[in-house]
Amino acid sequence: MNASDTSHHRWLWTGIILTGLFVLVPLLLSLAGRSYFYQIANTIMIFALLAASMHLVTGVAGLLQLGHAAFYGIGGYCAALLATHFKLSFVVTIPLAGMMAGLIAFLVAVPTMRLVSIYFAVATLGIGQMLHVITLNWVPVTKGPNGILLFGGMKVFDIDFSKPVPAYYLVAVIVAACIYVIHCLSHSYYGNALRALREDDQCADAMGINTPRLKLESFTVSGFFAGVAGALWAHTAGYISPADFNFNVSILILSMVVLGGLGSLPGSILGAIILIGLPEVLREFKAGDFRNIIIGIVLFGVILFQPRGLIGEVSALDFIRNQFGLGRKAKNDANKTDGKQMRVGWL
Amino acid sequence: MSAFLETLQLGRTFGGLKAVDDVSIAIQQGELVGLIGPNGAGKTTLFNLISGFTAPTSGEVRLKGERIDGLTPHDIAQRGIGRTFQNLRIFPNISVFDNVTVGAIGHENIGLGSILPWQKAKSDRITQKSFEALQAVGLLEEADQLAANISYGKRKYLEIARALAMQPDLLILDEPAAGLNETETQHLASFISRLHQEGRTIILIEHDMRLVMSICQRVIVLASGRKICDGTPDMVQKDTGVLEAYLGVDE
Repeated sequence: MNASDTSHHRWLWTGIILTGLFVLVPLLLSLAGRSYFYQIANTIMIFALLAASMHLVTGVAGLLQLGHAAFYGIGGYCAALLATHFKLSFVVTIPLAGMMAGLIAFLVAVPTMRLVSIYFAVATLGIGQMLHVITLNWVPVTKGPNGILLFGGMKVFDIDFSKPVPAYYLVAVIVAACIYVIHCLSHSYYGNALRALREDDQCADAMGINTPRLKLESFTVSGFFAGVAGALWAHTAGYISPADFNFNVSILILSMVVLGGLGSLPGSILGAIILIGLPEVLREFKAGDFRNIIIGIVLFGVILFQPRGLIGEVSALDFIRNQFGLGRKAKNDANKTDGKQMRVGWL
Repeated sequence: MSAFLETLQLGRTFGGLKAVDDVSIAIQQGELVGLIGPNGAGKTTLFNLISGFTAPTSGEVRLKGERIDGLTPHDIAQRGIGRTFQNLRIFPNISVFDNVTVGAIGHENIGLGSILPWQKAKSDRITQKSFEALQAVGLLEEADQLAANISYGKRKYLEIARALAMQPDLLILDEPAAGLNETETQHLASFISRLHQEGRTIILIEHDMRLVMSICQRVIVLASGRKICDGTPDMVQKDTGVLEAYLGVDE
């Protein structure tokens, strides 16, 4: 591969994103000087990861997931229980929580994968409700509606990650790494295979795509990342209860994905920023009870006037593939083929 | 030498109806065979049996000597059978290029691990094969358009390109000329002949008699689920059984 092959601006964009996440936002937060703002920033990042993980399974693979909060909750409870009962370091509980959520997602997916469209959606809805009821009623383990308080802080090598700034960086690093993986999956040819499932899974099967395996994989991976998000939530909030993971949360995540644009990863992230950030902004402006009405109007308006979402899938995919050079760089490669033809002509 | 693809007493019943009844056909490597028959003759069912969409109730399907009946469609596709659909089934909301990649992705059998850096060669092969397929059907210009936005005729070629990207040993085209006008059909005929001359084995399921008779070396006729004739276009055209099946029996 020669130098002209790197006509995309991968490093520029990576630089912009990382500078924003690790320098600009913390700078603004420290200028604002209220630890509450750090908490909002963490919540936005956690929901960005939740929306990104749902984007993979619902936006790209086209499996309508109505129980995403279940895997978020499994991650949250898993991390909380491992930290309080087994006194595991929070660093260890995060991947373990993800794996547990991924495992449960896999077990749920095996029987439900044969279901299509609305039937699949209702099955996931059932999973979500089931988890909610379990967390409410399995009092000896989950402490029921009282929830679990995570005490003991988050210390590694004398850095106390329960302080606002380290906590922000912890969440930012993990969320960025997870979203990077989702980015690789959804924008590479693997993503094309998932999109083929969404568009017409029978036809994809006839093309040699192992559709049951891909559905299983995408659902499991999505569950894993939701579990990681749950663990981050448990540790940064310091307290979890069943209400954090109920049906409303599943719908909130789905709204983020649809608002930003089904199938569009940057859209999902933008959706999370808007639906978590906007209520807080409105709170600052003392919008009071009008807050929820305004959010409702925003959702309604976007769906009405921009049904493909704020950043539609097609433009998001074009932009990212061109700038990050995943899969094919549309125009360049076409020219390359033309060049070959011309050379043949000269000979 | 055993045939490239053969069905042995293949049968499929739906309820009491014998959609495909005791059909044995053999296709040799490099052949271009037409499969014709009146509506409801069982052409598409036979084809679905071969490509794994429907499981046979009796008989066998063998590809290169190995039994493939009962396998899933993706297994059969990976063993080298590429197909198009009677009523176009492209992926409308992704680009023309991305549509074609799906065939190549199936051939490479990519999974979760494909995003690892050392798997880049696979991804490069997919890019290359997809461009070759698009070039073969003359759709390079449209590569970046949404598949839903190109014309009906071009979508037909897109479907063929997607099947070609699978690098199939056997290509089955299910009524590719349906909905095309005379000029387009002629263009398609010469395109299919070219694919055949390049050494591909092709089964052409078609309603358009002239298309089949003009380019196929051999024609198989189905009627009411049974094979009623198998021979050169000349033979088939003179066969009284075929005439009866198409025109009805003279009282």
